[in-house]
Amino acid sequence: MMARRPSTLMIWAERILPALSVVLFVLAWEAMVWIREIPPIFLPAPSSIARYLWRMIADGSMEYHVLITFLRIMGGFLIAAVTGIALGVLMGMSRLVSRIADLWIAALYPLPKISLIPLLIIWLGTGESYKLVISAITAFFPIVMSTYSGIRQADSGLIKAARDLGANRRQVQWHVVLPCAIPSIFSGLQLGMGVTIILVVAAEMIGGSSQSGMGYLLISAGQVMETEKVFAALIVLAVMGAVIIKSQQWLDRKIAPWAASAQ
Amino acid sequence: MDIVVEHVRKTFGSGDKSEVLALDDVSHRFGSQKITCLLGPSGCGKSTLIQIIGGIEDATSGRIRIEDPARSGGTTKLGAESVMMWQGLNLFPWRSVIDNVAFGPQMHGVGKAQRYARATELLASVGLRGFEQHMPAQLSGGMRQRVALARALIMERPIMLMDEPFGALDAQTKIVMQEELLRIFDRTKKTILFVTHAIEEAILLGDEVLVMTARPGRIKEIIKVDLPRPRGLDILGSPEFAALFDRAFHLIRDEVTRAMREQEEAVRA
Repeated sequence: MMARRPSTLMIWAERILPALSVVLFVLAWEAMVWIREIPPIFLPAPSSIARYLWRMIADGSMEYHVLITFLRIMGGFLIAAVTGIALGVLMGMSRLVSRIADLWIAALYPLPKISLIPLLIIWLGTGESYKLVISAITAFFPIVMSTYSGIRQADSGLIKAARDLGANRRQVQWHVVLPCAIPSIFSGLQLGMGVTIILVVAAEMIGGSSQSGMGYLLISAGQVMETEKVFAALIVLAVMGAVIIKSQQWLDRKIAPWAASAQ
Repeated sequence: MDIVVEHVRKTFGSGDKSEVLALDDVSHRFGSQKITCLLGPSGCGKSTLIQIIGGIEDATSGRIRIEDPARSGGTTKLGAESVMMWQGLNLFPWRSVIDNVAFGPQMHGVGKAQRYARATELLASVGLRGFEQHMPAQLSGGMRQRVALARALIMERPIMLMDEPFGALDAQTKIVMQEELLRIFDRTKKTILFVTHAIEEAILLGDEVLVMTARPGRIKEIIKVDLPRPRGLDILGSPEFAALFDRAFHLIRDEVTRAMREQEEAVRA
């Protein structure tokens, strides 16, 4: 059978249609709200959401909440990344540590971390430390587990080759086992980043004592039925999440280009 | 360096059921500055034998000694005099070509300038000048092979243990690499053990071909190859080559059919 070549029309369709579908969706939404006269409390028109969004950006409130949430995400993620990679590496290199940690991970991993919120609020209050801890705990698990499995699955052929070329135990760990684990560690960090974003926003919604962040913005706008603000916050949150995840992927490729093909 | 192998046995797995006898009572003296090819059907333990000689695997029983013919005595400490070249090459994908080649010296604490100078020289000698900063993934199969060769040569060890290094190459690249190896051998006079399942390759390269039996691996017969050196591909057409090929071919065919029959019986049982 001959390979079918896509026609010029199809190539153009592939380029234009995805963006066009978004435009059409927004237009249809706008039209429907006007024609059916839907009250803005239920479903505001895209044009009025855009107006609200613009106003919030102009008065600086949106930037403020975005920045606060972004810093909390980075804080929680960094704590989880440092502790998670450290424990994962230790587990991978010491049988004893892995035996002990295995039990704890098996017991705690299946627990939905969000269910720890009441306990953490009792212990830590609803301030910054509570938000950092809940997001860090959640991200910690996928990072530990990916790091550990990456270390365990290090290519035995490469380890043998390194030993044959005169590397000692420590050199094998540092120059072979660790680089072998990097693709797996990076995928753990990506999973960790995803859950950190979720948990930070959830924590801002539930423990809003600081009255800041995207979660707080969403819940406070929702409570007074400012639906336009809710939509505006959702759009910004979606864009922020996408930017964070994409930058992380870009950074991973920059740091370890060989890992992209290994994954 | 002579390699003296005495009554080496190797079993994999423990317990009576899963235990597999890979090598059974193998004894041989591998001569200094010679290429000895280990030829046999897959699963005959030929890779296991050279990994034991390289100190990567332990023998279940038996003794191996490395002897310098110029001096008396010898060592049973394996690995220090030899370097492996692997079937799967085992290049480090995160290291550039030059850092792959310079890996051994780096582990031994040789400074950057010095190890890079030596690696650059060796890369040039295997025809890879200008590819120092490339990553292994950017190279073709034959070029990766040359990197692996340079990485082994930089160790300057008298013994090279080669485990089907050209097995995955296409026919043309393979020929070029075989000639390259013959050139290096004529220049450096290393002791080379070369594992292969290709009869032609074994006779072209070897001074001696050990034909091995299928599981458990034993030495079935030793074929002396006294074709003149330096050798080139032109000997492939000579009547002497044809005669040696014919002899090795019949030995191998017996082994392969025997192994296949045993497998069939194992499946039926």
